[in-house]
Amino acid sequence: MTSRKLTINGVRRTVDASPGDTLLEVLRREGYVGVKKGCGSGDCGACTVLLDGRAVNACLVLTAKAEGKVIVTIEGLAKGDALHPIQAAFLDEGAVQCGYCTPGMVLSAYDLLSRNPAPSEGEIREAISGNLCRCTGYVKQIRAIQAAAEQMRGGRNG
Amino acid sequence: MEDVGLRHIQSIVRPTTADEAWRLRTADPETTRFLGGGIDLVLYTPETVTTLIDVSGLSRARVSAGRAGLAISAGMTLSAVLETPEIAAYVGGFLRDVLRQVASPLQRNVATIGGAAMRAHPWSDVVLALLVLDAEVEVFNGAARSVPAAEFYASRSQNVAPLVTGIRLPQRTPSTRGAFEKFVRTGFDVGLLNCACVVEVTKGVCSRVRVAVGGTPALARRLPDVEQVLEGRHLSSTTVGEVASLAARRVDARDDRRASESYRRKLTEVGVRRCLERLTGGGSEDAR
Repeated sequence: MTSRKLTINGVRRTVDASPGDTLLEVLRREGYVGVKKGCGSGDCGACTVLLDGRAVNACLVLTAKAEGKVIVTIEGLAKGDALHPIQAAFLDEGAVQCGYCTPGMVLSAYDLLSRNPAPSEGEIREAISGNLCRCTGYVKQIRAIQAAAEQMRGGRNG
Repeated sequence: MEDVGLRHIQSIVRPTTADEAWRLRTADPETTRFLGGGIDLVLYTPETVTTLIDVSGLSRARVSAGRAGLAISAGMTLSAVLETPEIAAYVGGFLRDVLRQVASPLQRNVATIGGAAMRAHPWSDVVLALLVLDAEVEVFNGAARSVPAAEFYASRSQNVAPLVTGIRLPQRTPSTRGAFEKFVRTGFDVGLLNCACVVEVTKGVCSRVRVAVGGTPALARRLPDVEQVLEGRHLSSTTVGEVASLAARRVDARDDRRASESYRRKLTEVGVRRCLERLTGGGSEDAR
């Protein structure tokens, strides 16, 4: 094990990790269980986190590659008790069913909306194309991201 | 939780020069690998590998434009490359459009252009694009040199593949157009076949024609006979049909678990026809 310095949800932490450990393993070991393990091969997107603002599969990122970068998990999106507008929109639109894909879907949406505040439906579909949902038909998630975009453009996002 | 990491990796080293990276790699080829974005290593690294040589810090990630064309540093992620204005403007956004169809956004945010060029999976869309763009691959294997993509991929039998340090795209005229077609079962599954055409069209006449097909299931290759037929001709519907049919006959298609040889020949014909129709402004998304 090697000590590695990571910035997770705004907190600088020193974690123990073997050279071959993925970010998924380390984050879950450290208690960030909103990072889900699904396929372990980058196909499902359940383990999505933000790395320097970009959504990535934590199962495909070696922890050593995350050193010096800013990691945000779903636990880091809300401000205290106030949900992020994307999270709130997912609830309002009923875009959550079993919930396993939701953290990844929300973080992929965050990556998209931070670069493109007014995405088309096609752009939303492309942005979440790496996040599989086996409960729904993606309709409500897309609607939620559109609603969140509208709200964030209105300046109600912190 | 079931293991998903690489238990056999004992160390990750960070050389500061390409020369140092190359010496580390060649000192023990069986137990070392270059580490760029790392996706391929997480998924496919043999258990004999114990040391990863992180080459992502060797150059600043950027696209630079010069009189000779564009230079892309190997460490840029596919997302960063496709979001660059220079790439969006290059050959009508051809490379941007290809990269947008590689894997998922989540993977494109990690995978590097250098890693994709060096790993060169048989189904690689990146390799296909580099071939039709007449790209050069900048490599280091004891000395730095620039190799035409076609030559680079034709000579990949050496024991230790050279370190890819960058990609060079030649300056192209505004009349150069490109089109890409990929057949996949789902959005980012491994493709059944891919093809691309890049053509300079002056007063309707084609020149510098490049046609390549990949995932046959072998790595992408150009089809020189097909290119020759189109050279100097107008892109009429008759020509398009003739060229697409010839491509289907010339492609080195074979069976594998994903598709049969005959199906791949049919895909080649349809794919090349769609690419050429798109170059003429014909065809449409609805026709797919």
